[in-house]
Amino acid sequence: MRHVTDKHIESLPLSEPVLMILLGLADQPRHGYAILQEIDKMSQGRVQLSTGTLYGALHRLLEDGWIERFSENDNSRGKQAYRLTQLGHRKLQHEVHRLKHLTRLASTRVARGAV
Amino acid sequence: MLAIYRALLYLYPPRYRTHYGEEMLAVLSEVDGATNGNKPLVRARSCFREVTGLLNGAFHEQVRNIFGAKGNSLFSFGRFSMRSEFRFPKATVTLMCLILAGVLLTIDKAKAIQHSLPYANPQVGPIEPEQFTLLPLLLLTLAAACLGGVIAWGIVFAMRRSGVQRLSELDLTTSDSPTKLPN
Repeated sequence: MRHVTDKHIESLPLSEPVLMILLGLADQPRHGYAILQEIDKMSQGRVQLSTGTLYGALHRLLEDGWIERFSENDNSRGKQAYRLTQLGHRKLQHEVHRLKHLTRLASTRVARGAV
Repeated sequence: MLAIYRALLYLYPPRYRTHYGEEMLAVLSEVDGATNGNKPLVRARSCFREVTGLLNGAFHEQVRNIFGAKGNSLFSFGRFSMRSEFRFPKATVTLMCLILAGVLLTIDKAKAIQHSLPYANPQVGPIEPEQFTLLPLLLLTLAAACLGGVIAWGIVFAMRRSGVQRLSELDLTTSDSPTKLPN
């Protein structure tokens, strides 16, 4: 049974597409196609999101206030950039902490099992 | 392809289309342009991914439009949003539906056989005994074994999805430090 003690943890763990989108926006604002390219690059082609999946996730993240629309100089051809909000940054940090702990625990357990 | 994508965007709720329609079309156009020089198989795969993504997205947005934000938990496919609470495994629902369909079909067949029997319908002549060779028996046995295998696989898959198996394998006696959540 998972015990949740922090309101930021309630929405964790994140699914891989959502985590990848947040990581894609972590360093700088990006528009839709640039996010897809960044995810493809980060995962070395392993995760390839469709446009429908990407915008479904962006819609929910916007609603939850994790990301926001960002006005760019070049917003022609319907291009709209997105960036992480403070809340989004915090959620991402919490997820990274959680994954770090999980990896550490897994490494310890696997090493113990190998002895 | 863009015409197909544009048509598929009409499956989304109007409000969603107003907000993201043009933007999505611009991205789809860029994706289409990027795969233009690739091999036909790569292009076909990309098109298939985009079409299924749009269909899936449209379905989820329509569900959200009708049932609200909670609607997606009713029809969530894949691991788009992982949740800590118990979720009834979809494999079990599919299996139950298949079993129900099988039972209904059997009842229907039984009724048809009953109506064709001489005592129920005097117009039908006596039933000729059929020659029962070894081949149908073997086929029947094979089909029964396959069905048994599929049902067993379904049950095991459902148990794995619900975490029962993982819980039963969990070793609670070891003393790992509890997970410390960050502040």
